[in-house]
Amino acid sequence: MMEAVTIKNKKNKFSEAPVFTEKKEYRPEGVNETGLTFIGHEISEDKTTMNQFLHYDQLYTIRHGWNSKFFIGLLDGKIMGTHCPRCGDSWVPVRTHCWNLDCNLQKTEWVEMPLTAKVHTWTVAGWSGRSSLKRLPIILVYAIIGNSKVAIANELHGLKPWDVEFDMPLKIVFKPKEQRIGAVTDFHFEPADNWKPSPMNKEKDRIKKLVEPVYEWVKTLK
Amino acid sequence: MISMSRKVCIIGGATTPFDYGPTGFESIEGGAAECIKETQQDIPEFSLRDLDLMVYSHFSVHFSHQLSSEWIIHDHLGLVGLPHYRVENGGNTGGSALYAAALAVMSGHHDVVGIVGWETMDTVSQSQGSEFIAMASDIRYELMVGGIYPIYYAAMANKWMKENKVTEEDVAMIAVKNKNNAMDNPKAQWYRNDHKYITVDDVMNSRLMSYPIKKYDCCLMTRGVAFLIVCSEKYAKKINPDHYVTIDGMGLSSCTIRAGDRLNNPGWKERYGPGYPEMTEFAACRNSAERAYKMAGIKDPVKDIDFGEIHDAFSTSEAQIYKALGLADQNTIAQFIRDERTSVNGDIPMNPGGGLLGYGHPVGATGLMSTIECYYQLAGMIPQKHLSRKTEVPNPECGIVNSHAGTGTSISNFILRRH
Repeated sequence: MMEAVTIKNKKNKFSEAPVFTEKKEYRPEGVNETGLTFIGHEISEDKTTMNQFLHYDQLYTIRHGWNSKFFIGLLDGKIMGTHCPRCGDSWVPVRTHCWNLDCNLQKTEWVEMPLTAKVHTWTVAGWSGRSSLKRLPIILVYAIIGNSKVAIANELHGLKPWDVEFDMPLKIVFKPKEQRIGAVTDFHFEPADNWKPSPMNKEKDRIKKLVEPVYEWVKTLK
Repeated sequence: MISMSRKVCIIGGATTPFDYGPTGFESIEGGAAECIKETQQDIPEFSLRDLDLMVYSHFSVHFSHQLSSEWIIHDHLGLVGLPHYRVENGGNTGGSALYAAALAVMSGHHDVVGIVGWETMDTVSQSQGSEFIAMASDIRYELMVGGIYPIYYAAMANKWMKENKVTEEDVAMIAVKNKNNAMDNPKAQWYRNDHKYITVDDVMNSRLMSYPIKKYDCCLMTRGVAFLIVCSEKYAKKINPDHYVTIDGMGLSSCTIRAGDRLNNPGWKERYGPGYPEMTEFAACRNSAERAYKMAGIKDPVKDIDFGEIHDAFSTSEAQIYKALGLADQNTIAQFIRDERTSVNGDIPMNPGGGLLGYGHPVGATGLMSTIECYYQLAGMIPQKHLSRKTEVPNPECGIVNSHAGTGTSISNFILRRH
């Protein structure tokens, strides 16, 4: 007969579990979490080929962990960056440990970044992922916020797609507080208040020609 | 620096027809079996019993709706008992699987390694598929803003093209070259579906994906399977003495997941100095090519390499890859493209098999497809594999295979030589 065993060296907890006191749900209709369900099939006329339709509906929890301050900052209308106390490099998107091998994974410190940026590079999208199609055309820029050593991607609003320029100054604009969800879509870039577009040129004409059918196509989307 | 302690050879391989939707080989295990049977037609002495390791090359579980789908293939091939594992490394999955297989042979631990690669991208809609692939970007920061790879690549290419004085028309020539090459390749998706020769005007007039990239500048979403045999020289000499190639050099390198994090990155600064790779250059391509060149004794790639099968996910990226491989520099790259030096009749043809733009891009199979096309050229098998000799590189001795992931996040290069 087996003897009862007492576990003596119980593993220490890595950290205390957070107590979540604020919770918000904005689940769109149709997310039912039914898991894996076969919902139909089709068979060819000659009975040699069958396709079966599998619906996969799951809710993921993205645990932001040590990156959380950035996403909580968005809810408050702030851009939080991190900074290395040893080499002084700063980042948005954030790094919780320094990228410089000489700093040997030094833990970084949180800093509030200014709500201004500069375009590093840009593109004008006429096609996108399923969830973004209705917002086309989209001006996507990689921009440098404050003294960040890296560029962050986000949409640029408030100008014609053909007017975007390299190095143009930007401001960061947040959605109204009640619409924010703690994701990078809570903010976008807009041209700085004193910025004016340059006159039309050959490249701008080309982009305009490419973009005009996109406006028409989006109107046809359900 | 590593040296090739034991020669690694390629003795054969094949792909299914690449397509979107029904192909005739619709089950992945059926496709793998057909690829092996075609390989056995080329090398009748090869038996499945000779394999002592299988490496599987597959990118996205989202497309396959089946975890560990390699187990379905492996079981179906009757290979129970044989060691197997899967390699996943984004768009460079095929190149990374080849790297893994070559290491296994090089180490002396395995003699005959089979690689099966596949992707079934037609299980969801095209726009959903684009979004699935984009889940290999950092979804916390990038997926919901713009959200698909053509947009990230367009942002990188827009700046690169201006800095290198390369125009939309220049890169359109690359799209024309690869899609038209695919018209000589019966397995190519472009041949099987669109089936037309195109011009620079067709590319310029195709719909906007993300400036400066248009629809015809983009590769294809594909269903496809590929099989390749990597082995020791002893086995190669026994099974296919007249048509084997050696992997004389290989390199694998890495870069940031988010393209915006390449600015001022200390890892690159210490290797290549400040200001590189910016957001425009594929540093992991340069770095892995340097490793492969050193191993293979390549001093001047344009002279020493006869042709290549490279990762043209976009026409713009093929141009960027030319530069990263050292075929041209900032002053010469535009003219290098305009002189059509990478056409089949040029001095260093690129993607005579059609590339991702023409043959297709079933992610896990793609790097293997490039390797197989490179092998066919070196083994003199193009007349039997393509429709004509129009896409045969004349007397090639040395080819390069390039496989590329993310926004340039993982890149491998291989130097193959005819034995």
